[in-house]
Amino acid sequence: MPWLETASDVDRARAERPVVIPTPLGRLFGIFTPPAPGAGAPGPCVVLFTRPRSHRNRMWVEGARRLAARGFAAFRFDYHGAGDSEGASGFLDPNRPYRDDAVAVLRELRERHGQTRFVLVGSCFDARTALAAFADEADAIAGMVFIAAPVMPLEDQTRVDADRKSWAHLVRALGNRENWQSLGSAERWRYMATVVSRVARKTVRGPAEPEAPPLAPSFMEHFAALVRSRARALFLYGDDDAEYQTFQVAERTVFADLDPASRRRFEIEVWPGRVHGFLEMTRSRETLDRTLRWIEALDRPAGTSAAAQGGATEAAWTSN
Amino acid sequence: MRPPTHLPPAHPPQEPALLSPGSTAASSPGTAIPDEIPLFFECEGRPLYAVHHAPGRARPGAPVVVHCHGLGVEQITAYRAEVLCARALAAAGFPVFRYHARGHGDSGGDFAAVTLASLADDALGAAAEARRRSGAESVVWLGVRFGALVAAEAIARGARTAALALWEPVHRPPDYFRGLLRGMLFSQVAAGHAPDATVDQLLERLAEAGRVDVHGYYLHRTVFDSARDADLGSMLESFRGPTLIAQIAARPRLSPAHAALATALEQRGATVDTMCVNEEPGWHFISNPAWECPALALRMRNWLDALA
Repeated sequence: MPWLETASDVDRARAERPVVIPTPLGRLFGIFTPPAPGAGAPGPCVVLFTRPRSHRNRMWVEGARRLAARGFAAFRFDYHGAGDSEGASGFLDPNRPYRDDAVAVLRELRERHGQTRFVLVGSCFDARTALAAFADEADAIAGMVFIAAPVMPLEDQTRVDADRKSWAHLVRALGNRENWQSLGSAERWRYMATVVSRVARKTVRGPAEPEAPPLAPSFMEHFAALVRSRARALFLYGDDDAEYQTFQVAERTVFADLDPASRRRFEIEVWPGRVHGFLEMTRSRETLDRTLRWIEALDRPAGTSAAAQGGATEAAWTSN
Repeated sequence: MRPPTHLPPAHPPQEPALLSPGSTAASSPGTAIPDEIPLFFECEGRPLYAVHHAPGRARPGAPVVVHCHGLGVEQITAYRAEVLCARALAAAGFPVFRYHARGHGDSGGDFAAVTLASLADDALGAAAEARRRSGAESVVWLGVRFGALVAAEAIARGARTAALALWEPVHRPPDYFRGLLRGMLFSQVAAGHAPDATVDQLLERLAEAGRVDVHGYYLHRTVFDSARDADLGSMLESFRGPTLIAQIAARPRLSPAHAALATALEQRGATVDTMCVNEEPGWHFISNPAWECPALALRMRNWLDALA
């Protein structure tokens, strides 16, 4: 079902306040959604890292208003160089997250809006930016929903993703007119060359497990800050996401090395199909619903499973 | 010969802060922006989000430019290009008002209930708010993609219009919606999946189920039906004002539909400028970085300069 606005949603929309945050890279534009009066003790402020601010089908606008109706303040904003914000735009590399924007937002919300505890939510680049905030603001962050983000350099992700492909995949791709048209781009040529060479190497050497590339240094740094914090986190991927192929390396390494107490603070859910990109309505609504439920359950004891919280459907998909 | 633009005597002072109903943000030092004001305004019982760009220099008599964004995801894909264009125009002395129609962006309202008529209602509400804030007497409409139809409908309803700019306008909604569905099927093939339906079958599903998922947005029967018989050329039959048609597509010459519209307007006495932006923004996908088009912003500014 699509989002059908309720009277409560309209009230929350009316209560929203545009906010402008000055930063060295330009003024950031965002929307603060205060918690509904009478919704009970205010929860942490949920900061929605998203690009653009509403994202597809306005999923984070709906998220902010539903959270506010349940007692959570919410804030969504445009990074510098994006949407309504000022500053120069550029390619957004998840391994070079906009940490300064994230920190500026949290400090503005603390100093001007009285918010002291935060839950951060993001997907892909936005998830990496949310994670980056732990380097400076770990003590203020109670939780994080980290959705389908790559955790290694993008060129390595291409290689890891290419290792999933086969000659049959390439034949199908060659039959697609748009793929031929896209070869006008040097970047696409590099991608195709990588895929062909990896598939050919797999043919010659056999399907042995390829050597895993290293995780991105920025991910390692920011993940370490998360581990040092007391925050809980939900890591959510689709098993068909190219980004999940990189995250599996993290599961085998940095997650496996965690002490039990730290590990219990982190949930990993892997759903069938794709989560990344929100290009399909049913999946994007499932992701939004799961995110909101996880945030609401955040104050329950760490380690409580999704199933124990009533998330039976997701529990069947949970790998950890 | 160009019809005269309607010139206000002067711009009133702008609000010094970001305001929405019930806002306390005005007292915050971090929110005091004199030149670019994000705000909510009421339109037909719901809050609509907008940004008012106050002119950076005095330009007596300047009209206010009101943006009518595209439909659904296209509101997002052209967003940054529109923002940069608005800033360029404001710097040149033209007030600009960008708003999110109901069911779009940060505004209230259900996307499922959006119709061409409701979009035009919002456009007229936005124009009234834009004139109130800027002091301008007339409007220059910027219609982006489906927003071209919205601007045309607003003009047809009698909006006081100085000029019209169209970015890759949609001429006939049924063709546009078919293209939307065709693009989705292409992308399924590109991902290695055989499409499970043809465009005609998807249109049947739309008629029966009331909606079809297109790249993470529902195409609703409501908006499809509301625009089924619309035609941009017919909607602009009474318009004779200066017009800029910007084609944004990977083709060197103006498309037959754009050219026919330009010819029809000229035959009615309108002054028509055209430009070809040889780019494919990828209207249905959020590109990284977001699509920007400095050449289009510059042309818009020069076109408005010439009109003024």
